[in-house]
Amino acid sequence: MKVAFTVNGQAVEVEARPEEMLLGVLRRELDLTSVRQTCGVGVCGACTALLDGEPISTCILLAPLAEGCEITTVEGLGGNHPVQEAFVEAQAFQCGYCTPGMILTAKRLLEEDAHPSDEKIKTYMGGNLCRCGCYAKIEDAVHLAVGSSVSGAAGSRSTGRETSRGGM
Amino acid sequence: MADARVTGAIRYSQDIRADGMLHARFVRSPVAHARILSIDASAVPEGVVVLRPEDVADLGRYGPQIKDQEALPQRRVRYAGDVVCAVAAETPEAADESVNLVEVEYKEIPAVFDERAALASDAPLVHEHIHLSKDDAAYFGIRPQQGTNTCHLFRLRHGDVEAGFEAADAVVEETYRTAGAAHAPMEPNAAVARWDGDRLEVTTGTQTPFNMRTDLAGLFGIAEEKVRIISPPMGGAFGAKTFVRTEAIAAALARKAEKPVKVVLGRDEMWMTLNRHPATVRVKIGARSDGTLVACDIECLANTGAYADCGPGVAQKMGFAAPGPYRIANVRVDSRAVYTNLPPNGAFRGYGQMQSTWARERTMDLLAEKLDIDPLDLRMKNILEDGDTYCTGETMHDVHFKELLQNAADAVRWSGRREGKGLCVMLKGMQTPSRASIAVEDNADGTYTVRCATAEMGQGAKKVMRMLAAEMLGVDVEKISCPDPDTDVVPYDTRTTSSRSTHMMNRALKVAVADLKENGKRGYGEVVDGGGLDPDTGQGVASSHWHQGAAAAEVEVDEKTGKFSVVRLHAPIYAGRVINRPAAELQNEGSMIMGLGTALFESNEFADGQITNANLSDYNVPAMDDMPDTLSHELVEREGGEVQGLGETALPPVPPAIGNALYSLGIHVTELPISPERVLDAVDARDDRDETPAMAGAHPVSADGHGGDGDESGERIFAGTPDGPVRTQKGSDREAAGILTEAKRLATSEPSKLFFGTLGVGLVPIIVVWLYRRSRGSEKS
Repeated sequence: MKVAFTVNGQAVEVEARPEEMLLGVLRRELDLTSVRQTCGVGVCGACTALLDGEPISTCILLAPLAEGCEITTVEGLGGNHPVQEAFVEAQAFQCGYCTPGMILTAKRLLEEDAHPSDEKIKTYMGGNLCRCGCYAKIEDAVHLAVGSSVSGAAGSRSTGRETSRGGM
Repeated sequence: MADARVTGAIRYSQDIRADGMLHARFVRSPVAHARILSIDASAVPEGVVVLRPEDVADLGRYGPQIKDQEALPQRRVRYAGDVVCAVAAETPEAADESVNLVEVEYKEIPAVFDERAALASDAPLVHEHIHLSKDDAAYFGIRPQQGTNTCHLFRLRHGDVEAGFEAADAVVEETYRTAGAAHAPMEPNAAVARWDGDRLEVTTGTQTPFNMRTDLAGLFGIAEEKVRIISPPMGGAFGAKTFVRTEAIAAALARKAEKPVKVVLGRDEMWMTLNRHPATVRVKIGARSDGTLVACDIECLANTGAYADCGPGVAQKMGFAAPGPYRIANVRVDSRAVYTNLPPNGAFRGYGQMQSTWARERTMDLLAEKLDIDPLDLRMKNILEDGDTYCTGETMHDVHFKELLQNAADAVRWSGRREGKGLCVMLKGMQTPSRASIAVEDNADGTYTVRCATAEMGQGAKKVMRMLAAEMLGVDVEKISCPDPDTDVVPYDTRTTSSRSTHMMNRALKVAVADLKENGKRGYGEVVDGGGLDPDTGQGVASSHWHQGAAAAEVEVDEKTGKFSVVRLHAPIYAGRVINRPAAELQNEGSMIMGLGTALFESNEFADGQITNANLSDYNVPAMDDMPDTLSHELVEREGGEVQGLGETALPPVPPAIGNALYSLGIHVTELPISPERVLDAVDARDDRDETPAMAGAHPVSADGHGGDGDESGERIFAGTPDGPVRTQKGSDREAAGILTEAKRLATSEPSKLFFGTLGVGLVPIIVVWLYRRSRGSEKS
């Protein structure tokens, strides 16, 4: 069947099977490889896309349900979005596999709450797993992205985390 | 240009496509040990390629240390999940459908799952003959015990252990068990295999491109040069992407189909491919009354599953570092890799150190209690210092254990009143012997290309190679490129494991850059570290450079529910000289967080050998909201220090630090993970001990050194002995938790232990946990 929706600002019509999940369609038909197959049951967040602005797990969303919706993947953020820049500045990734999902979830979090507490960040981002364990720096990145100016927000953060004590 | 990881532009092997490629799916055995009677694929639609055992009957065997794997088993499956046949179709969906149309008939034969049971003289044999590999991954003397399930027995002998124990004023002994765990890299394994005439090319996220080349060449009976392995960046690996995993089947399918074939494992299949060794470790330590350690006797059993993979190496490393960073005059270690009918277990971040460190460091605290010495003081009194001799006979250099341990203690404000606080110190070997080579090319336009087999799996390998080269060549890091490993192009390297790459490649690169400066266009550098141990005595050089780490934890326990939280976790490791600080910090934090998962909840659960929690909903890995209130670490550097590997060091010390923090409250847990149920059991055991003086004998610490085994004392509670009814009188919350524990035990191996309650009641908390995870996961949707 044909499914029509908007992806990253472009109207598209793609071929999909009625029982197919959106994840496979985005990857196969549109080569949007930032949405990633990982858990297949909607618990890890690596396949996250924004559906009409809300983060969803594309691995458990039937593709036909996206009909008429506006979908954003990390490819649609360009590369200089404040949250992307914050992730680079904080070096909040290792393998990068979960990073697009983390960025999209953080983007939505900051739209909902411009100054999230540590607790709020941990809870909100708790549905995105990072097996490399970059959580401390991801939390840093979210704090860095607070406000529109990434660097301007750097001084205002406060977390309970201690940074490493190097140097002898 | 923005980092490809934040734009999503990075391409993993998941994302590789080849013209005309087919998609593979595997038919897996549902039973753990069986003869294959028949395979009927007649219902599979025409055009779908089916690979059957007879299609690979002409091939040899593979396996990095023991040649015990066939591309497809010819007659017999050895674990639930063993691949019986495979299909390749034009779409993944068609392949899925075809897999379901294949009918296989099995005749089950007795199976064994527990590493202790597998050593019984009447245990079913998983392999009748054990054939050693000649690959470079079999770099040490492997000692299979033919006619048993022991595929490697490593022995370490130092001094006279019997005399040592006789001279001891106090002896403690305890047995520990650690669960199998999943690497769970976010990216499941994926590979594309294709043949070009008699040449095989495999693109696969692998940490071991050259070992893969050797093993596939051996399997297909072709020259190594006829095999090309390309390794794109991996979406995490942690050991899961070592040696041949899916590639042999992909290559055999491609050979039959005469088309490229892509394999992408489903998440559940990751559990059927490679896991961390479950292990049983018994530790006996003797000391004089002043705390001087005089003897140590350790036995390790590493459950390597149905195929050895690198289990012999894991058992050896688990064994030689088991005595820990202490001066002990008399040491005996027996460490075995044991075949069972579980899925294969292999390399996993920490490579056996976590299992033996858990056992030894927990025992050190038992000894401290018995001697009435502060656990920090006991460790400090015996800790290795520069110039000391380790029990392998090697002299230790650049030693920092004392400082690491002190820093860990300081981080939790260690003092005589240490309730809720625990410590750990450990050492870990780097693969020895080991060889690394690297090339650097001058592109004559101000840029340089570094070529090496070091694979990128998120640890920042490429960046660190570029930074090192930039520093040595005196140019900007942007002028250096470091392409993906390609065995046709890069010089030989042992593998990207063992936290060896930054250390070894830094040294090789120095030689290469000097060569380039002398020769102009291309420089080549190679370093070879000799050494190794005599597998029958454990004497020699275990490690050309040691990884050194410590940890401290502080916990708060709700003794009514067994729930506890880690409020502070600190891990200092020796880092020599840090090259890429953010990456080094991430490796250290990541190791700690993985150690936290190991300590608190990660456990592969099986029923009749079938994995029962093969998904990220039932198998929990740490999420952001599982982080301790304070998680901190240190990279301890030294002026002029060597570049060190630090990808694993902070994982093994985490579980024992947490276990010892609980023990400071009298809560003695011997099994990992430390579930609330186990904490409750330990609280009950403590209270029983305190209330009933006659029960003192059940305490694991006993004067004669033959004290109760943790498992046995647990059994006493559940087996309906006089202590049994005590449990049924506890509050209902405890009963529910106890039943869950029992359900879990039922699900693992010993149904007879189900003493009270029903599985149905036991499922309630499982479902609650599941719903909790679901709700948390779907909060955003």
